[in-house]
Amino acid sequence: MAHWTAFEKETERETKRLIGCLSGVEDEEDQNFQLALKFAWSNFRFHRFLDVDSHKVQRSINGIYEKLMVQSDVSKAESWMSLTEEFLNSPLPNTDGAKTDAHYSLVSLLLFLSDSPSNTNFTERPRIKEAEAKDNFDWARYLMEGEDIDDGPYPDTPEWSEESEDEDSQQPISREDSGIQLDRTPQDDQDNNNKTVPVTWTVGEPGARAWLEQNVVTPYWVAHAPRFPHSLHLHSNLLNVWDQHLYNTDPLYLPEEKAFVTETQVIRETLWLLSGVKKHFIFQHHDGKVIVRNNVVVTHLTSNCLRSVLEHIAVYGQAVFRLQRFIDEVTGYSSEPCPPSSGSSHGGTKKASEPPFRTYQAFVWALNKYFTSFKEELTTIEREIICNDETVTLSAVLERLHPHLVQIKVLHKVFCTGVAEVPHETPNVVRASHLLNILYKAIIEYDSVGEASEQAVALLFSLWTETVRPYLEIVDEWIFYGHLFDPAKEFIIQRNKDVPVNHRDFWYATYTLYSVSETVDSEEKLSDAASGSSGGDPGSGSKQLTMVSFLKPVLKQIIMAGKSMQLLKNLDRKDREPAEKSCRDAERKSLYALFLESVQSRLCSQEDSPAEGVTEQQATRRSLIRMQSIIKQHLQIEDVHDPLLAINFARLYLEQSDFHERFSGGDFIVDRSSQAVTCQTFELTLRSCLYPHIQRRYIECCGNLMQTLKKDYRLLEYLQAMRNYFLLEAGDTMYDFYTSIFEKVQEKESWQQLSFLNVQLQEAVGQRYPEDSSRLSIFLENIDPARKKHPVNNLEVLTLSYKVPWPVDIVISSECQKIYNQVFLLLLQIKWAKYSLDTLRFSDFTDVTKKQEGAACEEPAQLHHDPDSAQHGSGVQHQVQEAKDLDQLIKIHYRYLATIHDRCLLREKVSFVKEAIMKVLNLVLIFSDRWQAGFGAWKIESIDKMESDFKNCHMFLVTILNKAVCRGSFPHLESLALSLMAGFEQC
Amino acid sequence: MASAANANLNAVRETMDVLLEISRLLNTGLDMESLSICVRLCEQGINPEALSAVIKELRKASETLKASENSTN
Repeated sequence: MAHWTAFEKETERETKRLIGCLSGVEDEEDQNFQLALKFAWSNFRFHRFLDVDSHKVQRSINGIYEKLMVQSDVSKAESWMSLTEEFLNSPLPNTDGAKTDAHYSLVSLLLFLSDSPSNTNFTERPRIKEAEAKDNFDWARYLMEGEDIDDGPYPDTPEWSEESEDEDSQQPISREDSGIQLDRTPQDDQDNNNKTVPVTWTVGEPGARAWLEQNVVTPYWVAHAPRFPHSLHLHSNLLNVWDQHLYNTDPLYLPEEKAFVTETQVIRETLWLLSGVKKHFIFQHHDGKVIVRNNVVVTHLTSNCLRSVLEHIAVYGQAVFRLQRFIDEVTGYSSEPCPPSSGSSHGGTKKASEPPFRTYQAFVWALNKYFTSFKEELTTIEREIICNDETVTLSAVLERLHPHLVQIKVLHKVFCTGVAEVPHETPNVVRASHLLNILYKAIIEYDSVGEASEQAVALLFSLWTETVRPYLEIVDEWIFYGHLFDPAKEFIIQRNKDVPVNHRDFWYATYTLYSVSETVDSEEKLSDAASGSSGGDPGSGSKQLTMVSFLKPVLKQIIMAGKSMQLLKNLDRKDREPAEKSCRDAERKSLYALFLESVQSRLCSQEDSPAEGVTEQQATRRSLIRMQSIIKQHLQIEDVHDPLLAINFARLYLEQSDFHERFSGGDFIVDRSSQAVTCQTFELTLRSCLYPHIQRRYIECCGNLMQTLKKDYRLLEYLQAMRNYFLLEAGDTMYDFYTSIFEKVQEKESWQQLSFLNVQLQEAVGQRYPEDSSRLSIFLENIDPARKKHPVNNLEVLTLSYKVPWPVDIVISSECQKIYNQVFLLLLQIKWAKYSLDTLRFSDFTDVTKKQEGAACEEPAQLHHDPDSAQHGSGVQHQVQEAKDLDQLIKIHYRYLATIHDRCLLREKVSFVKEAIMKVLNLVLIFSDRWQAGFGAWKIESIDKMESDFKNCHMFLVTILNKAVCRGSFPHLESLALSLMAGFEQC
Repeated sequence: MASAANANLNAVRETMDVLLEISRLLNTGLDMESLSICVRLCEQGINPEALSAVIKELRKASETLKASENSTN
């Protein structure tokens, strides 16, 4: 059709529009549309009709006039004549001149289309000439058609028209101006002929819809909906007045097509919107947003005014919609199939295989509870509207809903920050703790506002208590049964599956603590390198604190109790019967129940607390106020477990405490911001209602574990054994062991044989401690050849090992054993030097050598004494007995070991002192070796060298130790320094 | 210019109002939109009788279509 003229294109476009307009089929590709287009085209092009004859048309006009006159329809006849005359003389959009063919064409078209004009009920609408605005309202028509309105909803309606009722009832329902009434009350129906229509319609039946339209509600949601009748009073027609004004002042003002609704309809749609209905006429959902339809108007408000009110409502509607959608997602209920993109926007929708995310579920449950009550309120209002007993206006409804709307705003805010803004891929643990934190913060925030947000705080508190439930249940399960049940991985602590309980790493590597805040001590940070990287990277998502704030004060206790409990469950406990246990479990209340009860009792018992420093009169007044409020509360709320009640009591308590402070504290109290008081109150509530239960359980669990470890697993005995063998406390036993080695060395025999060493050790230990002989073993280790150059280092190949059974190896770990071993080797080296000197006979030798020997001898003796003093000084036994939990015990043990390590000069920092001592020991060994070889082998130079070496070392040690002792760095080396000093002076 | 165009616009608006009144009086069932389409078509020289025939047919057809849709639903 490339050769088509612009004219034809224009015609086709108009034809398409006409088809769309008449058939309602908008899709041009539609088969029906194409058929219609073809049909129209062929009719337009190939027809056998004559061209329009203006005379014929004029004759028809006159004929109709006559007919109307004959029927005594004078007004209609007059209208007809004047209208046609006026039209024929008026300009057309694209045609110049009057009474053209186009004019007659149009009149003839209308004549062809006319459908029994004499039967129609027509009243000419007054038109405003020239610049005057077109009146949207056909006042006269409404006046005349007012008959079918009773005084019911519009008592202002003035006189009715003269039209007969019969005519009205004969009208077909589909007529544009059928005058179907809105909100027809039963009284209206009684006056109406339609009252006899039986309510037996079926959905889908063509007549049913018409019946509904006529008897229930005007279909105001369809295009070109019939108008409803309403009062003519100025107040009811503000829109028209305003439109008129606009039309008069603004020449370019074009009145738009408007959808007229009544205020009742607006109220009803508002109620529906707030109750979560998704399809509306006035409010439209578009991409998850609620927007107000542009052209909706009510007659008594300007469209701007109505719009601003409706937009205000739409904001709440959207909040409700989003919350509702979240609820649907989490519950898995979806009223309509969601597109996949929006379906899991909050991660709420889960595959069936995934475990439920209980924190969100609990939150949704709390939201749902709120919405149930909110919807009840909405239903009540709707019922009142239906009853029609009293005037219900939009502003009155909004006023009534105001507290609820404020609460919805709060809920939506919490939802947005706590749920919606969390990135999609965030792990559950961060989501859960974030949500709880947001709720917690919101409570404190709103609480700080004081009385103004009392409702909000009550709501948030109830929300918080519900949402925190899964967390407390997880904690409960863990600290009471030692079982961390958290399938959705939402708890801040998670179990590493690959570490079994009866493994020595259990205590350290089993749990990963997520979202550690900066205020938590490093010792509480349990995540080891491997598990820490597996998911606990809280800092990357958001910088803010993601740790669950409310658990922070008791987190350590929870971790301790949980781990202890799990450990205890896996230990064979002899002292408790299973029957007894199950009996106790049955009686036990869950942590959550205990928490709620405590909140309840705490808030109720506030009135009994003694009022310190308050005069009797004030006290009486206070108790009066309290009692009054309490009684009021009790009357209002029957259910004593209601958290709302609890928070109200909290508020009550708060009021009283303020009261109290104001009277007792003077001016300074008044200056205090309410925030400090209220925040403190919320935290105090937690402190007194939640933390004690956890604390109690912590003490119980850890106490049990300590008891079990000490009694059943003989922890203290193992600690003693470590001291016996590694610190040579079992002197006789170890003497037997090491002298056998030293003898071998002196006899120049090879002693570095594993079998020999082990046999010696077993023999020595077996005599006095047969139970330990199987645990102790000795190994040989290859050491650095560079360190082998001195004879004293030869002993360093030895590694003593004590097999510590589980679970004691949690305390005495392999790391501890390494430290023990270092001390053991040092002691062994001193013992060796001492032994070497002891076996020499000095009877024939010079004084110098004797002195040397004496001084050298003193050193090992002194050093040997040190570990013991460290041990006794620290009172480790007592501390171990007092330790509350396993961590504390481990810490005490470590501290003890560190002290010993320190005092044996094994620290890197003081290695030079140790080196000097080792040199002395080495000299002793060389000296002894030479001595054994025979006096003849001695050269005077070598003796001199040894002496000077010894002197140097001696000097160095004396200087260093003296300085150190003066500084107070080595208090335990004071005696050594003194004796060395004495030895030095003798030289 | 603007005022002349505006006056013309007003005049046309008024004509359309008059025509709508006539249409209502004759009970043609046309609304403002379809009426304005008809005006344009007539001005383009489409035969009014043919146009009325098309309109009547289209109305009939769409009613049948709606009825059949309702019954299938």
